[in-house]
Amino acid sequence: MSLNFMQESTSSAVDTLTQSYSGKWEGTEAIEQSSAFIQMMASNDLIFVVLGVSLIIWFVLLFYLIKVDRNVSKLEESIKEKKDEA
Amino acid sequence: MTVVITAGFLIRIPDIAILEQSARNLFLHVPMWFTMMVAFVMAFYYSIRYLNDEHLDWDIKAETATAVGLLFGLCGLFTGALWARFTWGTWWTFSEPRMNLSALAMLIFVAYFILRSAFNDREKRAKISAIYNIFGVTTIPFLLYIIPRQLPSLHPGAEGNPAFSDMTAPELRLIFYPAVIGFIGLAIWLMDIVKRYKQLQLKTSGS
Repeated sequence: MSLNFMQESTSSAVDTLTQSYSGKWEGTEAIEQSSAFIQMMASNDLIFVVLGVSLIIWFVLLFYLIKVDRNVSKLEESIKEKKDEA
Repeated sequence: MTVVITAGFLIRIPDIAILEQSARNLFLHVPMWFTMMVAFVMAFYYSIRYLNDEHLDWDIKAETATAVGLLFGLCGLFTGALWARFTWGTWWTFSEPRMNLSALAMLIFVAYFILRSAFNDREKRAKISAIYNIFGVTTIPFLLYIIPRQLPSLHPGAEGNPAFSDMTAPELRLIFYPAVIGFIGLAIWLMDIVKRYKQLQLKTSGS
């Protein structure tokens, strides 16, 4: 009973949010009024979105790899220093 | 493993020209979350192994698995936000349970690294972060799979049905599964590199 009530209240809470945001969810129709960047992205059947998504993945992975690379070269330097001391 | 990755990419590219435009994000956005899940399950396993025999090797493996998992999770979050902008019309919405709960899951694992940096003692850090990680990974299935399926949402997979429905074209699966395998292979390879670096670091600082 109380669980049922809780579920109802959460779904109704979600629904009020949906109502207040539903204007925003129709944003693809209002795309003509948005900036040039957004318009460019929305052209050609959203193919630029796919480009953007793959670029995001690429840059995040690249960032991580560069970080690892830096750490490895730091480690190499410390090994070299140790060898020089010995 | 490299063969798997290259196969995942090679199969993906020629078939892309046939398919509908932004549905192609399926090969990029969804495997991110699959890979994240695999990485966190690996971290979970390594954490349990660490508590079992207290060998620092397991701690290193758990840490790198969590780091790579978090990396792919962030990729999934960013790509999801970009995709949402052009299909739902907004970068972020608070009435979308899956979006917010996955952001919460990412915060749990950011907290894992903050917790790690709080200890100077190697053994203590390893033990406490292993326990935290076991609890953290346990929350992920609830945050990402169970709760979002109970709530109404625009995201596929809401209200009790799995994300793949009859809306999805069958030929998408042909490319989707190799892509998943490819990204998981890439993640495991990344983990291996970072793990080897950390083992070397431990050796040089120890001797």
